Amino acid sequence: MASGIKDKVVILGMGCSRFGERWDMASDMLMVEAVEEALADAGIRRDQIGAAWLGSALDDVNVGNSAIPLATALRLPPIPVTRVENMCATGTEALRAAVYAVAAGAEDVALAVGVEKLKDTGFGGLPIRTKGSVNDLWMPYGSAPGTFAQLAGAYAARHGLNGADLKRAMAHVSWKSHQNGALAEKAHLRKPVDMDTILKAPMVADPLGLFDCCGVSDGAAAAIVCTPDMARALGASDLVAVKSVQVCASNGWELQYGEWDGSYMRNTRIAAARAYDEAGITAADIGLSEVHDCFSITELVTMEDLGFSNEGRALFDVLDGRYDRAGAQPSQIDGGLKCFGHPVGASGLRMAYEVYTQLKGRAGARQLGNLEFGLTHNLGGQPSNSVAAVSILGRL
Amino acid sequence: MSDSSILACAGYLPLLRFDRGIARKDLRWSGLGAGGTGLRAVAGWDEDALTMAVEAARGLGAVASSRITFATTSAPFIDRSQAGMVAEALGLPPSLSTIDSAGSRRAGTAALVRALDSRATELIAAGEKRLAQPGSAHHLAWGDGAAAVLVGQGPGLARLLGQATVNVDLLDVVTTTARGLPYAAEDRFVRDEAVEAVYVPAIRQALSAAGLTGAAVTCAILPEPVSGTYRALARPCGLACPNLAEEIAAKAGDLGAALPLFGLTLALERASTGDVILLAGFGNGADVLLLEVTAPQISRTATDALMQGAPLTSYSRFLSLTGALALDWGPRAEVNQKVSASTLARHGRAMHGFIGGRDAAGNVQFPQTPVPVRPDATGPEPMQPVRLADEPAHLLSVTADRLNFTPDPPFVFGLVQFDNGARVAMELCDTETAPAVGAALRMRFRIKTIDRQRQFPTYFWKAAPVSRPPLNAEKP
Repeated sequence: MASGIKDKVVILGMGCSRFGERWDMASDMLMVEAVEEALADAGIRRDQIGAAWLGSALDDVNVGNSAIPLATALRLPPIPVTRVENMCATGTEALRAAVYAVAAGAEDVALAVGVEKLKDTGFGGLPIRTKGSVNDLWMPYGSAPGTFAQLAGAYAARHGLNGADLKRAMAHVSWKSHQNGALAEKAHLRKPVDMDTILKAPMVADPLGLFDCCGVSDGAAAAIVCTPDMARALGASDLVAVKSVQVCASNGWELQYGEWDGSYMRNTRIAAARAYDEAGITAADIGLSEVHDCFSITELVTMEDLGFSNEGRALFDVLDGRYDRAGAQPSQIDGGLKCFGHPVGASGLRMAYEVYTQLKGRAGARQLGNLEFGLTHNLGGQPSNSVAAVSILGRL
Repeated sequence: MSDSSILACAGYLPLLRFDRGIARKDLRWSGLGAGGTGLRAVAGWDEDALTMAVEAARGLGAVASSRITFATTSAPFIDRSQAGMVAEALGLPPSLSTIDSAGSRRAGTAALVRALDSRATELIAAGEKRLAQPGSAHHLAWGDGAAAVLVGQGPGLARLLGQATVNVDLLDVVTTTARGLPYAAEDRFVRDEAVEAVYVPAIRQALSAAGLTGAAVTCAILPEPVSGTYRALARPCGLACPNLAEEIAAKAGDLGAALPLFGLTLALERASTGDVILLAGFGNGADVLLLEVTAPQISRTATDALMQGAPLTSYSRFLSLTGALALDWGPRAEVNQKVSASTLARHGRAMHGFIGGRDAAGNVQFPQTPVPVRPDATGPEPMQPVRLADEPAHLLSVTADRLNFTPDPPFVFGLVQFDNGARVAMELCDTETAPAVGAALRMRFRIKTIDRQRQFPTYFWKAAPVSRPPLNAEKP
């Protein structure tokens, strides 16, 4: 019987590059920036790392295939190094692999790195990719905003909501994140944006306007994990433990089977339920969430999928400020994907970096009080065909 | 003469109508486009002669033909059996006799003459989307559209009374493969030659073969290479009836090889039993058929197609849709969309026919997969083919995407729920504004993607609103 990973692994150190249009930085430089910070934080040398995982989603514009680019960039000793990819959950997958290796007793110290160099595509938005030679014969070639925009209409239809009310709540989601992002030194977009500007922005994919969409940027983040005993032996204290890392992937049910109404993400709900169960907590215990706010509507719907809002109530909770900085359950305290942008392979680890930083009490102007548990959430693919990842970090 | 008759016919026009006056106004500085009046039917970026011919053929309802002819002068492929693709798109068996009829605007009537002379049941599907240079008369005079006719034994809608063909290598307009665009002769020469050397002798021979005089003809469908042709030939041929081809040209444009068959459909929709129809095809000569109406046409596909649609008000969008203006769509349009022959060999029939599968428990899905999507499926199951092209459906979620490349933004797509249980992520078409969640949908055969590096289109189905808005033909 599996006993889970709760408290079997702690985070010894983390690092995060500055996110943005890093025209002067290649992928290897971004990885080094993040990992050097993590090594310094952990107080170890790279030859103490037993195994490493590289998360990188878009090999055609990023580091290329395999994990060799990580081993090469860091000049790692000859250890197992593996590349993982699971769309926007890629960064969390790298963390999960490193955490599981330590929890399994296979390694004392493991490294997870996520990186993406999106701004070398030469155009805005995410790269346009094939969906596979057979799927391309029939699947729509929609953009990411196009696929997520459809949540809005389906959500409004399910709950009998007015489109204008929903649009205002979506704007509040973005407004709140821009307020928070102004305090995040490593964020890409650091200017507050007023509600009127958000509401009047040009349409990207109906009803998502420009400010309903997250930024696109370059970045890297890294985590060094180990056993609690190893951390203590290295002199670490005030430890941040991994309570759970859960992943759930679509099997075609949403896309092909006639049950789902398009208004929520079942994968998020399943991954969250497993994570709360493994961590032994409930949604109400989460003091900070870093969720996958690729688009404003995604964050709004995710507040219900994670159990923070009751079904059909997220619109009202958002407008009431529940997820604002001063609210009951702040979300995106660093500005989220909205302000950091979304270098796909790095985002999950960037979220963990903020939760870790907050739990360590190092968040400066962004610091929240009385934080016991923080949650990260990724949603890869599109609502109708997705990978969800939920991880919970907390004090040991 | 065989006992064959016209069993069914149907017409199809694309959604958009361009008011030629817009071009006339925009081109005023140049002195070109002066003859532009009326409306021109404009195909969507994802329509071509093949897709429109398929849509016209679908208007015939279920057919059991042994032969298929695809007729056009604007075939998207020079070396690929498009009649075979028509069969695939209609879900017909691969054993049918198929042929592509091309090389002249008479491709439709020539096929019809031969079908009426045989004892086979034959589906003739004609479609046309012809390129022409902006500023030319043809760019505005021509229209995009399609029509289909089913010919077979026994009583139907109309029977052949007499027929004649005259071949004359009159180059009123000629398109070479090397140039790819039409080149026109002087109007006055064309009209005189078309009347004296082509139409009058052909019509007289056909009337003689039918044992009729021109006065017996109640309706003509006679394509005019230049306006005034019918007026000039009516008196010498004794014709006093209206020419529907003129009405179609004014409301949709000259549909090329599809014009006679579209006109025949329209004529039969308006005719009474006993009427006599003069049907002509023109192009390097003429085919003339005299048909007696033997039963009223119930469906109104051609009438509806002329009355329904949406105005296209931008000249630059018209130029873009007619292939006359290559816009720089930026790097997002550079995605490589190559499709391999082996992929199409495996999946082409299911894509062209929109064939999903019914699993062992009865659930329908698209595409077929080894293990069904049904949640309680425990392993691979055999699937029975289920065609989704004619299934009713509604919209579950939708957006109008302005980020990803499409040749005619926005890119409207969503999740489509079929009444039989299948659910498919689909692109939408025939939508000037995105329909609302819950809207009823019908399927249309369309170009899915054009591999822009190799200029190779793939075909699939798109979801469209069930009906089109009424078009005020007088005030578009």
